[in-house]
Amino acid sequence: MPDKRIEIKATRYDPATDEKPHLQSYDIPFYDESMVVLDALNHIKSHVDGSLSYRWSCRMGICGSCGMMVNGTPKLTCNAFLRDYWPRAIIVEPLNNFPIIRDLVIDMEDFMRKLKSIKPWIIRKQELPLGAGEHYQTNEQIDDFRQFSECINCMLCYAACPVYGLNNEFLGPAATALARRYNLDSRDQGLKERLPVIADPEGVWECSFVGECSVVCPKGVDPAKAIQQTKLDTTMRFVLPYGNRD
Amino acid sequence: MSEARRRPALSHLVFWFLFSQGGVITALLLPVHVLIQGILGPLGIVPVVDRHYDTWVNVIGNPLVKLYLLVLIMFAFFHFAHRLRYFLMDLGVHAAKTLPAQAIFYGGAVAVTLVAVWILLTTAPLSFG
Amino acid sequence: MTTEAPAAPREFAWRMPGNWWTRTRHYFLYMLREFTAVPMALWLIWLLYEIKRAGSGPHGYYPRSSTAFVVFSVIVLGFVLYHSYTFLKLAGVIIRVKLFDRPVPSQVIVVTMFGSWALASAVVGFVLIWFAR
Repeated sequence: MPDKRIEIKATRYDPATDEKPHLQSYDIPFYDESMVVLDALNHIKSHVDGSLSYRWSCRMGICGSCGMMVNGTPKLTCNAFLRDYWPRAIIVEPLNNFPIIRDLVIDMEDFMRKLKSIKPWIIRKQELPLGAGEHYQTNEQIDDFRQFSECINCMLCYAACPVYGLNNEFLGPAATALARRYNLDSRDQGLKERLPVIADPEGVWECSFVGECSVVCPKGVDPAKAIQQTKLDTTMRFVLPYGNRD
Repeated sequence: MSEARRRPALSHLVFWFLFSQGGVITALLLPVHVLIQGILGPLGIVPVVDRHYDTWVNVIGNPLVKLYLLVLIMFAFFHFAHRLRYFLMDLGVHAAKTLPAQAIFYGGAVAVTLVAVWILLTTAPLSFG
Repeated sequence: MTTEAPAAPREFAWRMPGNWWTRTRHYFLYMLREFTAVPMALWLIWLLYEIKRAGSGPHGYYPRSSTAFVVFSVIVLGFVLYHSYTFLKLAGVIIRVKLFDRPVPSQVIVVTMFGSWALASAVVGFVLIWFAR
């Protein structure tokens, strides 16, 4: 029985020598139905072309490192099964909307900066004294923000968002969802501190609810919902005299 | 992009609020108007108030109807202005983000609203028939 | 093309393709949804004009009956229905309501929105037809 094979076309870009990125084709054995695109990349790097560069770590969909464009869709390559594409070729490109450092590796500095800008930590006006014990939280209170805490910072949502692609200043889905995660946390009192960033002209107002971010999110965070709810809550806060002010 | 420049954008908040209310209002009300006044009426399938001068004048003379039409037009055109501005931004027209563009689009919505006020006040005298 | 290598490694900047919205069905449907504002605005401008023409007296007023106008309205109706369907469905995502401290499921909110649409249409439709007798 002939060995099954599959063609992988991966973006190559060497900043020292290349003017622009180009696709390089690799023909590799498809020896197991459980193989994912990440397995294919690792095979290429180990046995075919050691110069191919890409990020990966846990290979099980929790670290968020291996996000790339697979046939035009942002996916975690550890979660993209070769069997779903075979016998067609698979085109693997670096995430859209980001500058390319090399091959499949993108510059994520802008994303890191945006995450930090919304102050993703519990902010207290008044710290509880040590003797008072821990902050108590019911399951219902955790349910309020649980979904938005599932983000693994994989940046697939930023790759899917055309607003971010057109305007790099846009705060973006993951950062806004994370801000909402803290604003909804009953232990947090920092909404006012986050408001200038969230409600800035480049904050939530830039979003036009394309919704593609939530479609591609591998963890079901639904950042589109987070952004729309933030728009509504921010508006109500200014419209209602006794609205949800701290 | 420094920290110091970040501040809540009240104007964008207002634009979004009017856009979203306008979206709800047009979503709820526009289909029946288009269906009845645009299709069933002209085809003669049902009698519609704007098919005859006297019934039309009678209805649009009613102050409640005038108020309804004004609210519909005002919110609808703010919705359209906002959506069109963002549509242009999506097409890569970066000029649509600027302050002059905002003035043109939202100012346009205000202008249409004022025209509607003028039309409603000067057409079909107020009647409670 | 120069054969000299650049002094420092440089990143390849991202450039958004002008035809990005043709690349997936979802992006295209999104742009279609945004575009609905244009036909809706045109039809409402027609309505304003119909109201204005009532001011030209009984001899000057005639209702639009041309085939072209009906075709225009049919096209507009298609866009209007698409706007209503997408907007009311998405409103269920945005609105967060708590009843007796438990969050109301988004499906209930969506059903309420569509129910309101049916009710509003019935009321307005009634007024438009009843007063034409």
